[in-house]
Amino acid sequence: MLKAFSTAATGMAAQQKMVDVIANNIANVNTTGFKTSQINFQDMLYLKMKQAGAEVASGVNSPAGLEIGSGVRPVSTTKVFTVGELENTSRSLDIAITGDGFLQVTLPNGETRYTRDGSLQINASGQLVTTSGYTIEPAITLPSTYTSVDIGTDGTVSVTDSSGSQSSVGTLQLVRFQNPAGLSDEGDNLYAQTEASGTPTTGTPGENGLGAIQSGALEKSNVQMVTELVNLITAQRAYEINARAIKAGDEMLQTATNVGR
Amino acid sequence: MTQAITQIGSSVDALTRELEVISNNVANANTTGFKRVCNAFSKVLDSQNGEAETYTPGTIDLKYGLDFSQGNLVQTGRSMDFALSGSGFFVVETQNGPLYTRNGVFSTNQNGQIVDEMGRTVEGESGPITLPAGVSVSDIQVSSGGQITAGGTALGKFKVVDFKDSDESKLVSVGDNCFAMSDKSIQPTSATNVVVKQGFQESSNVKIVDEMVDMVMVTRLYEANMRCVSAQKENASTLTSVAMG
Repeated sequence: MLKAFSTAATGMAAQQKMVDVIANNIANVNTTGFKTSQINFQDMLYLKMKQAGAEVASGVNSPAGLEIGSGVRPVSTTKVFTVGELENTSRSLDIAITGDGFLQVTLPNGETRYTRDGSLQINASGQLVTTSGYTIEPAITLPSTYTSVDIGTDGTVSVTDSSGSQSSVGTLQLVRFQNPAGLSDEGDNLYAQTEASGTPTTGTPGENGLGAIQSGALEKSNVQMVTELVNLITAQRAYEINARAIKAGDEMLQTATNVGR
Repeated sequence: MTQAITQIGSSVDALTRELEVISNNVANANTTGFKRVCNAFSKVLDSQNGEAETYTPGTIDLKYGLDFSQGNLVQTGRSMDFALSGSGFFVVETQNGPLYTRNGVFSTNQNGQIVDEMGRTVEGESGPITLPAGVSVSDIQVSSGGQITAGGTALGKFKVVDFKDSDESKLVSVGDNCFAMSDKSIQPTSATNVVVKQGFQESSNVKIVDEMVDMVMVTRLYEANMRCVSAQKENASTLTSVAMG
């Protein structure tokens, strides 16, 4: 059968994957700390029908070869770690990282994950946890007597008790990776370290390239609706033209079949 | 009659091939750094030793060539996306020698080296470019000349090379958004007429409308060729019936 069929089919499959990625980005347009993904494609192997530079007659070299490609394949999705817009919430336990860095959280099974979702909560034992209830590392426990809590730009967590006296109860720390795009996406706004991301380096917020902490604000998703919609149109049209290529091949075969009648 | 059929056969073959080329172009309509393949038929005209041009019947040669025209630059904001504006290629190192690419979607590997999507190291002016420990990809600033700095410290410079226009046609696609030089004796020169843009990707230079028009033309030409076969068939049967009385 026509090779064009399978080639165009890879195109349709790839565009469909692109729509999948875009749909997930759009679905998370209001997810705190969400990072948009982009899908990357590569062309597949080429069938060499004539080598460029091959000798076609004595002393005459073919100026160009003839190679026919076999389509496209999705090769990677990369997270784009630009900082999202900050949204003021006025809640003192909401924090936004105004630059590079992740909060470190510990799962109930002891494994470590990383997040940029800073809507912190306090659990029954007074510990700072994420909205899913995972404890923040290093663990910070608030005394039961506090009346208000403040988080400084350097991550210092201080509480005020009923008598008005302030005391520091710990410092939030951030980690950063050499290649954050290599982190694996675990859902729940969490990321896990991989071989590709490199090992995390821990530091104080606002130092050594880490972003400062802004309390009373949340980092919104960095999904740009307009960009996503433009990409969606591109993917859809590309899908359509690939379908058209299949139809063109079909029409050709049909004419060929009709000759035999 | 047989000659006509042979000619049609050859042209049908070429049209099928043309559709394959077009479908590969459209399949890669969203592939970063992809360069479309131009496809144009050409009759092979033999002109040798000043003799009059003679047409060799039944030979249709597909002229294949990569169209290296600039694709649109799309802003992504990702610090490790690079686009080339102008004529030139990034160089990636493989076991089988250097490959040239215009797809600048890079990341770092476990050793901190800048690599492409397939994990192959991207060449700098002096070997692979390594990010020292503690430097994150978001710290990286790349100048239009390809100089890489992180917080004021120079880390290296992307090797961006170019070929003479006459040699560019000898580049062949090898998949994975890369091109290889088929003539090993040709060495690239340092690109002068190119700007590296950080946070951008060069989109595919496939123009959907053009491909669509080509596609329609191929189907119609194919149909016309098949019509000729039908005509030949009728002629033959008429001839036979006359001969048979």
